[in-house]
Order: sequence, then C-alpha cells, then structure tokens
Amino acid sequence: MIPQLSIQDLEKTFGAVKATNGASFNIAPGELHAIIGPNGAGKSTLISQIAGEIRPDKGRIFLNGQDITDVPAHQRPRLGLARAFQVSQLYPEFTLLENVAIAIAAREGQTFGMWKPLGSDSRLLGPAADYLHRVGLAARGQALVSELSHGERRQLEIALALAQEASVLLLDEPMAGMGAEESARMTQLLLELKGRYAILLVEHDMDAVFALADRITVLVYGQTILTGSVEQIRNDPQVRAAYLGEEHA
Amino acid sequence: MSRRVLIDLLCLATFALLPLLASWLHEPFLVSLFTRLAIYGMAAASLDLLIGYGAMISFGHAAFFGLGGYVVGVIGFHTSQAMPLWGWEGSSSALIVWPLSLLVCALFALVVGYLSLRTSGVQFIMITLAFGQMLYFVLSSLSLYGGDDGILLNERNTLPGLDLENPVQFYYLCLGLLVAWLLFCRRLVNSRFGYVLRGLKQSERRSISLGLHPLRYRLSAFVIAGVGGGLAGILWANYAMFVSPDMGAWHKSGELMAMVILGGVGTLIGPVLGAAVYLGLEQVLSLWTEHWLLIFGPLLLVVVLFGKKGLYGLLLSPWPRWRKPPVPNAPPAIANSEVRS
Amino acid sequence: MLLLEQILNGLQYSALLFLLASGLTLIFGIMGVINLAHGAFYMVGAFCAAYTASLSGSFWLAGLAAVIGSALYGLLIETSIMRRLYARDHLDQVLATLAVVFFTNELITVLFGRSPPAMPTPEWYGTFVEVLPGLMYPVSRLLFIAAGALVAIAMWLLINHTRLGMLIRAGADDHEMVGALGVNIARLYTLVFVFGCVLCGLAGFMAAPLLSVEIGMGEKVLITTFVVIVVGGVGSVRGALAGALLIGMVDGLGRAYIPQLLDQLLPAEVSGTLSGGLISASAYIVMAVVLLVRPRGLLPARA
Repeated sequence: MIPQLSIQDLEKTFGAVKATNGASFNIAPGELHAIIGPNGAGKSTLISQIAGEIRPDKGRIFLNGQDITDVPAHQRPRLGLARAFQVSQLYPEFTLLENVAIAIAAREGQTFGMWKPLGSDSRLLGPAADYLHRVGLAARGQALVSELSHGERRQLEIALALAQEASVLLLDEPMAGMGAEESARMTQLLLELKGRYAILLVEHDMDAVFALADRITVLVYGQTILTGSVEQIRNDPQVRAAYLGEEHA
Repeated sequence: MSRRVLIDLLCLATFALLPLLASWLHEPFLVSLFTRLAIYGMAAASLDLLIGYGAMISFGHAAFFGLGGYVVGVIGFHTSQAMPLWGWEGSSSALIVWPLSLLVCALFALVVGYLSLRTSGVQFIMITLAFGQMLYFVLSSLSLYGGDDGILLNERNTLPGLDLENPVQFYYLCLGLLVAWLLFCRRLVNSRFGYVLRGLKQSERRSISLGLHPLRYRLSAFVIAGVGGGLAGILWANYAMFVSPDMGAWHKSGELMAMVILGGVGTLIGPVLGAAVYLGLEQVLSLWTEHWLLIFGPLLLVVVLFGKKGLYGLLLSPWPRWRKPPVPNAPPAIANSEVRS
Repeated sequence: MLLLEQILNGLQYSALLFLLASGLTLIFGIMGVINLAHGAFYMVGAFCAAYTASLSGSFWLAGLAAVIGSALYGLLIETSIMRRLYARDHLDQVLATLAVVFFTNELITVLFGRSPPAMPTPEWYGTFVEVLPGLMYPVSRLLFIAAGALVAIAMWLLINHTRLGMLIRAGADDHEMVGALGVNIARLYTLVFVFGCVLCGLAGFMAAPLLSVEIGMGEKVLITTFVVIVVGGVGSVRGALAGALLIGMVDGLGRAYIPQLLDQLLPAEVSGTLSGGLISASAYIVMAVVLLVRPRGLLPARA
C-alpha cells in the first residue's frame, strides 16, 4: 500500500543549526500519526517543509506517491494537502462564513469572479455553514474572526482545513494555549475526523497524543529516532530519557 | 437607510446637480472645478483599490494617469498634424482612441506590476516610484511631442451623441464614468476576487495554504487599477486639452496618495472626497496666498498624524452604535456587513 | 582622458549621493521610517550656506552655517513630527514627510526667495589642478570627492569602533535588543536623525556653489538617493556606499557613452531623442534590474 504521506531523509540547515537532520516516516491512509519531541526539536520546520514554505536541503517528500519536494507551496493544496497553523492564520476582518467560503472557492478554483458578491453566494455559504457545523461553530458564522476566542480560532483553523477536502491534514499544535475544557473539545473533534483523513499531528499535550494517535514518531534534534505504537512509545526508555522524563521532571 | 448610503447619495446628488447650481450662481468655473474633482477622484479611487484592498503601496500610480493622457495626446497630435503614426492616419473618435489608450495602460501595468510584485514593503514602494520616474523621463525626452512642455491639443475626442466641447456635457460624462467606476470597484471588492485580494492583505500564509497564488490576484488588481488611472488620464487630456510629463511625475503620485489618505483608505468613495478636499483646499488657499503650501503642509500632517480613518470615516463615526465590541457571553454579534466592507 | 574625467565626475556625484544616502539609510534601518523630507534638509543646508556666504563673504563660515542650520531644523522636525511616525505604517510616513517637504519648500521661499544670491567662493575654489598629465580637473569637484571619502572613512570608524556605532549596528539588526541594553531609545533616534541632517547640511554646503540652489533641489536628488539605498540594501551604510558608487558611475559614464552607443545603434533623430531620457532614467533602470536579481539589495544590513 502506498503511504499517503512519505517523508524520506529530510535535512535542512540554517546557518550552523541543523533544524532537520534526517527525518523519515510514513503515514498510511486514514492513519493519525503524531510527532512528538522536546522544544527545539524542529517540529515546526518539518511542517513548513511538508507544506512547502521551506525547501529542504536534502531528502524527498511524497504525497499520494507523487514527489512534491519541488512543488511550490501554493500548488500543494490542490494535490491533497491541507494545514492548520500553530499560530492562527485566519482572515480577522472577515466573518467565519466568509473565511470558509474563500477556502471553498480556492479549492474549486473559482476565484476570479469579479461581479457576484461573495457575501450572498449561496453556492459557497451553504457548504461553508456545513463545515462550521462540523467543527462546532455553527452558531458563530456571522461573527468576525477578530471577535473569536482562542479556542474558537483553533476550531476555525480545522474547518478551513476540512473545507479544502484534502486527503492529508497537517495539524500544528491544535491544542496549544487551550484550557482543559477546550482541549477536551478539540480532542473530541479530532477523534471524529480520525480514520477519514491521513492526519499528521504535532502536539505537546501528551494526554491528547496518547488518546488520539495510531502511531507516534519521536523527533529529537531534527532527527526521527523512533516510530511506534502508543504503547511502544510510552514504554521506550530512550523516549523517557529524551522527552518524557524531561517533561515530568 | 444606513448612514453610509445617505452620505453616498448626498455626494452623488451634489455632483449631479452641480451644473444647475453653477448656472444659478453664474459661476461656470464651478463646472470646471468639479470636472477636475471627478477625474482626480477616479484616479484616487483606483489607487485605493491597490492601497486599501490589496496592501500594495504604489508610489507610481500617476504613471498610468500620465500614460493614459499621453496616448490621447500623441494620437491627437498625429491626427491634427496629418502625420501618420506607423502608417495609421489617426482618429479623434473616443471609441477608438480611448480603448487603445486603456490597452496601452493595461500592458504597461502588466509589465510594471509583474516586475514590482517580486518585491514587497519599502522595496515595492520604491520600485513603483522608479518605474513611474522612468516613464516620466522617457516622456520628457520625447522632443517630437514637446519634451518637458508636452502637447497642446486642438480638440477633444468625439463621442456619438455627446458634444464633449460643451463643458456641462463633458462634466456629466466624467461624472457618469466616475460613478460607473466606483460601482464596478464596489462590486469587485465584494466579489470572490475581492475577498481573495483582501484576504492576501490579512494573511498571505493562509492564502497560500489554501492554494492561492498571491501574484495572480495582486497583478490582476494592479492592472485593473492601472486601467482606472489611465481612464482618468484620458479624461484629463480631454479636459485640459494638454498633456505634459508632469502628469506622471512622482509628486503627482504623492498627491494621489494624499487624496486616498485624506478621504479614507479602503473606502473607494472616501478618496473621491479626498480629491475634492485636496483640490478644493488648493483652490481656496491659493486664492488667499501664493504660499498656500505653508498652510496645506501642516494641515496634511495633522490629518495623517491624528485622523486615522480619513474624512469618510469621520463622516460615519459619530454614530458608533453598531461598532460596539460584543459583550462577552452574549449571543453572537450580528455583524453589519455593510459597515465593514 | 574622457573616460577618466567621466569617472571623476561620476565620483563627485557618488560623493553627493553617499552623503545623503548614508544618513537616510541609517534613519530607515534604525527607526524604520521612510523619510521623504531628507532632501529638504539638504536644501536647507544649501540655502543657509549660500545666504551666509553672500552676507559674510566667508566660505568656511558658510559651511558652518549649513551644518548648523540643517541640524537645528532636523532637531525641530524630529522632536515635533518624526518621532510620532516611527511606529506608523509606511503609507503614513510617506504622506507626513511629504507634507514636511511641501511646508519646507514654502518656508524657504518665504524666508529666502525662490533662489538665493549666487554663492561667492574664494579664488582657489575656482582653479584647476593637473590630476594626471594632461588632465586638468576643478578643485571644487575634487573637494567634493574628498569630503565624500572622508565621511565614508569617518562613518566606518564610527560604526565599527565606537559605542554609538555598536548601538547603531544593533539597532539596524534588532530594535528590541537596543532597548534591552538599557539605552534611551528616544535619544538614540534623535541623535541618528540629527546626524543624518548634519550630513545633509554638509552635502548642501558642498553642492551650493556647484549646483543650482533652488526650491525643489532636495526632491530631485532625494529620489535618486532612495534609489541608492534600495540598490545598496536598506539600512546598510556599506550598501549606501556601494549604491552611491554604482549609481554615480552609471550616471557619469552614461552621460558620456549612452549618446555614442545609441548613435551607432539607431538612426540619428531617434537616438538624439532617446539618449537624454535614457541617461535620466539610467539610475532607475539599474535599480529595477538590481531589485529583480536581488530583491533586498546588493549588501543588505541583515544577512
């Protein structure tokens, strides 16, 4: 079976720092694959390379069997890649519905209409409301993004990724900065998505990772040192030393 | 009826009834002044499309104003001198000359925009300025067309059914085109394209991650704005029956920016008001003293430093009820989309 | 000989551009402000010099007046206007400083008239020296080149070997770091701004007897100065030097060789028309090419 996303021997150096130093892993269709690692392990750099914002020095990235290493960032979504950002990247001056509507229009490639107002385009707003409903924001469609709470922004990030109808979702710390209640709600939301998409989840919240992941890859100093099931990772002495021990010290 | 619609209609009514007022006051020069306002308003509104909606601070917008005017001037020169231009004996019909001029402006905007949009920030401001200056110097060096002195035109272009030599008819043509342009821009910024363009301003990273290629939208907007600037230049050439390189000089670009800021960035109608205030103040102050810039400079400074939202924002602001922040835990705020857009 | 003379002419223009660009690039690099009014201080310097010289007859007193006049006007503008602009966006900065230009032009007109009396110069100033066998070159222009070179060396020493220079380097790299060092930022900004104005005053003094002293002389050279700092890399004094030399040389050599080149390539009536425009536009063409190849300039401040 071809993995939906395959990362092979990725390397990236910034000046004297090897931010990514041999990262390899595969994500199978429908798998929720978590990446964990201490701060500074290079998780964000890794995501940026998969999304195409940063070009790796070495190694290849395959999406559904296609080599996308040299594909520009703006063309990767069309090949089935969607992303939720660690620090929310939303359109704060637009409503939630408008945010999702842009994502739908972009996916359909219908973005050069210059006459019909987007704000009354039922072909966009109808589906947009559905996506908001799926992430639990149905009641907030008319609010401006700038009025949203932190947790709600995170939910909207997920809604935008869903609206792209991608096969692979990159979720960069969706629980970051959330309270316990919001975190639980996000975990619930991700559980509902699990199995329908190949998901790469970068997350610091260990409880959430252990609750959600099918497999976990450990990243230390830009290198993937281990991939395994939740049980394997939880009990691995190397991981405890490198990461968990440090966290719980 | 919202306050905004009321203000828009009031402006429209003032412009529409102006010739009546002028003849009643026996001040025909008012028609001439308001023709200038309409033309500059169009140029400023098209610059607002770039600055206010596309976050592209172009410091070379007057280049399109100058180029649009020069195409009219050059064709007029060849036509009246019976001097064929590359084998074409020329034309004075607006239906031929104007689209041709707009096409030239669009092509120029395409090239300048494509090159300039490879940069951003200060570099973008400066490279647009540089392209504007290049055009300015090229126009200045065209000795056949008067060099620095420019071209005097013998007649305005002709349009079936209208007598453009008649000041009032010409004024209504400018006004009609201005209103049509504003309506088009309003539709544009609220369309899918407009949302993508405004979205790029708010988060370019998000847009790219949605699969949008920033250059395509920014460049399209740049060309559209260039055409708007060009149309204003065409009208100016016909109004003044004179074109000169100064139409494209950098201080003209600065003036257009000042009009946008004065009126309110990202409001489209605001810049038209900005143009009116700018030209009106120039008119009034220069009647009073030859050193009118001594007063105008500080005035502009005060507006920039303290008047964040411009004139149009000021007109809308005394009724702040609908802009109150939502009360926490209250039902979701019903955003008034008309106020925001 | 023509080549050498044109190189010297180019160097003299480079010196003028460097005097203006080095201050402007620091002001941009450290305070992040686009200052269209920079040329106004150059104009103020030139008017002060010409006026003082015609009143007192003293050449060097005129120089002092130019520097002091520019510095004082700079101090006034910085404390009353510029410091409100540092945190604003570029659009506000462009317009506010444009307003300062408008105002200054009119103020100078009211104070001195449209153009001041021609600046009297000492006798030695108008003489020529033989820089190479057979090549006579005016002292006035050599003095200009020397001033540019001296300022370049002084700035290198200042930036690399003094505490102020260290702060300036740190400020160009990272605004917050300077604050973290416990430095009074507002004072540093005022100092840098006034320093830039002093260089403008010096340039105005050097230019006053050579170029025409008139209203609007600041804007003309300012735009080219912006070209220089963008070509060199915004915020970098080394870049300003490189940019000034490049643009100065292109201008000097362009004046000599563009007409010849076009004469060979094009029919006479076309080339005569075009070459004037091409010479004037050459700086902008260089800038467009540099930005397309290296969008951040030749020697950007931050690697």
